[in-house]
Amino acid sequence: MPQLNAIKAYRRDMEDVVTSWALDDLLLLYHHRSGQTHMVISPVPEILAQMADGAVLGAADLHDRLARDFDLGPRADALAEIGAHLDALVALGLVRPA
Amino acid sequence: MRHATTLRIGPATFRIGSAWPQPIADLSRLYAAYPAMTGAIADFTVRLQPTSLMRRFVRPSIFITGDHGLADAAPMSLSHGLLAAEMGMNLQMALGWRRHLLLHASSVEKDGRALVMTGESGSGKSTLAALLSERGWRLMGDEFALLDLETGAILPFPRLVSLKNRAIDVVAGQVGDARMGPLLRATAKGDIRHMVPRADAVARMDQGAMPALLLFPRFGHDDDVRLVGQGEIFMRLTQASTNYVALGEPAFAGLTRFVTGVPARAIDFPSGEAAIAMVERLWEELA
Amino acid sequence: MSAALLVRVLRDPAVAAGLDAAGWNGLLAAARAERLIGTLAYRLDDAPAQARPILDDARRDTAREAQQALWEADRAALALAPLGVPVVLLKGTAYAAAGLKAGQGRFIGDLDILVPREAMPAVEQALIAADWEWVKEDAYDDAYYRQWMHELPPMIHVERDRLIDVHHTILPLTARQTPDAAALIAAAIPISDGLYILSGEDRIVHAAAHMLADGDLQGGLRNLWDIYCLLPDADPVALQARAAHHGLGAHVAQARRLAAALYGDGARLTVWDRIVRARLLARDGWGRETRKLLVFAFYLRSHWLRMPPLMLARHLWTKWRKGHRPQ
Repeated sequence: MPQLNAIKAYRRDMEDVVTSWALDDLLLLYHHRSGQTHMVISPVPEILAQMADGAVLGAADLHDRLARDFDLGPRADALAEIGAHLDALVALGLVRPA
Repeated sequence: MRHATTLRIGPATFRIGSAWPQPIADLSRLYAAYPAMTGAIADFTVRLQPTSLMRRFVRPSIFITGDHGLADAAPMSLSHGLLAAEMGMNLQMALGWRRHLLLHASSVEKDGRALVMTGESGSGKSTLAALLSERGWRLMGDEFALLDLETGAILPFPRLVSLKNRAIDVVAGQVGDARMGPLLRATAKGDIRHMVPRADAVARMDQGAMPALLLFPRFGHDDDVRLVGQGEIFMRLTQASTNYVALGEPAFAGLTRFVTGVPARAIDFPSGEAAIAMVERLWEELA
Repeated sequence: MSAALLVRVLRDPAVAAGLDAAGWNGLLAAARAERLIGTLAYRLDDAPAQARPILDDARRDTAREAQQALWEADRAALALAPLGVPVVLLKGTAYAAAGLKAGQGRFIGDLDILVPREAMPAVEQALIAADWEWVKEDAYDDAYYRQWMHELPPMIHVERDRLIDVHHTILPLTARQTPDAAALIAAAIPISDGLYILSGEDRIVHAAAHMLADGDLQGGLRNLWDIYCLLPDADPVALQARAAHHGLGAHVAQARRLAAALYGDGARLTVWDRIVRARLLARDGWGRETRKLLVFAFYLRSHWLRMPPLMLARHLWTKWRKGHRPQ
């Protein structure tokens, strides 16, 4: 998506609620609104959990929230990875540009 | 249409109409032991019709369609009329069935519990189900297994078993000609011959069974048994289902429960005999 | 004729109570063939035990389709949001988005949207960037679409496998009538972020144009049901004025007569109305189209309406050489 590079802030919409189910080390997400099933692995479930309150967050905010519970390694690398995950989640429709 | 019959297989009723007598005559002979459904409201209509008005008589070729059809389905030779009728019913199930999660799988039952086998065409799942059903197992279906999303049970869909190429002789030798359909030579999938399920499979076609073992068979390789990860099982089963998406969240919930609760293995085997021994052993160990 | 039975039951659901199994089989086959099974299911309160699960399935199916259609609209809105152009939902998706009676039980296939003509190149680029791609890379069809049609060649989303049709007006440029596309967009009603639906009058004008001026009447019974359900939302005088403005006064008037004749309290029909009605009802108890010659005549006519004769001959020749013939 062309505009994704320009996205600075993200949020989860209450309408984009998912049902989840763990299989081995995978997490299955059923997204009610699209009827699609997604198969995700860490850190995607953790990112979604941090966004569950619907707050508008940038990649840096999310990094700081995650860093409270996890050792994320060098900040720049972690930020880039979180940004890439967020854009992928926007493409799936699980997260929206704020 | 000129020629017609109504058949019930498991939970689904089909009204089949044909422009020619032969496919209906074949069906009537091979499905003679199934419930009489004259005057029923059918779940699906299947039509075997000429590709054009002329083609009913001149080099007749059958266009398979019905409530659900594929516009670009290749026409079939009239000599393969029975196969056309079977494909017409399969097409309706694959595109239109919504009352259970439909898995492209064979299934057999023993002691009230079901063994489900899924794989591509040629994996041997049909042949294996046919062979097991001659050795003390009840055939539930060779093509579609129906997962009841409320109870978690597998429901039978015991249509005629479709045997291909080498499997024809292996099975026909064991069941005898009375339970075999005409040999259909040189279809798109090679030679095909249909087998009528044993009487108990038909008589008990409304009885489901809880799934106790899931196998991914693969014919033509050395003996091997492998564990399969739950994520992979889930993906392969969604790919083996034509209505997973259409059924929405109940399908998600039912299939995740199935994957979590039913032990599964991938098995390779060089012959039918080897496969049967392997299945019996895994059934003892796991089910 | 089972299409006639289907129409009678949609008009008066009580008729279904008198049907035997053969009647039900014909009714269900016709309803499926006409893609009206969901509508039928919502119309019928009661049915014999064997038919009930079929109707329940149809209700669930169409509810899910509506949800998926709205999701596609949501995705298109997201992809097109940066352009800042109005995106007008058309047909089934619009009815579902607005909760209209016409959307209840309706099958919804592709996502149809209307955008300003000058925005087409930007829309095309934005959709491609968001993972829609051309369904077929065929030079002839592509040139045909771009030169003569009122829409981009159909695109499909790579991941979701759903089609989108992007229109800049509601009839092909070769058609004799030239609806006022700018007026359609100017009068459109906003329903959510960046998404619009046509005004009550324009919805009917579009449905009538789609059914009578554009198509070969394939799916005509469903289009006519749409129109029948849409009519109460429009003021009759304003509707006729609006239709005249778009050059579609005769089509809308005919659609109103046919809707009243088939689904409503009846209407006086012209000779041409009766021919169209015969075409609409050409389906037997197995769901097959009957009256092949009449059906083929309408196939020719649908192209005649859109294209000057020489162009038509060339177009049909090209199609036939590639093996396409009307079914």
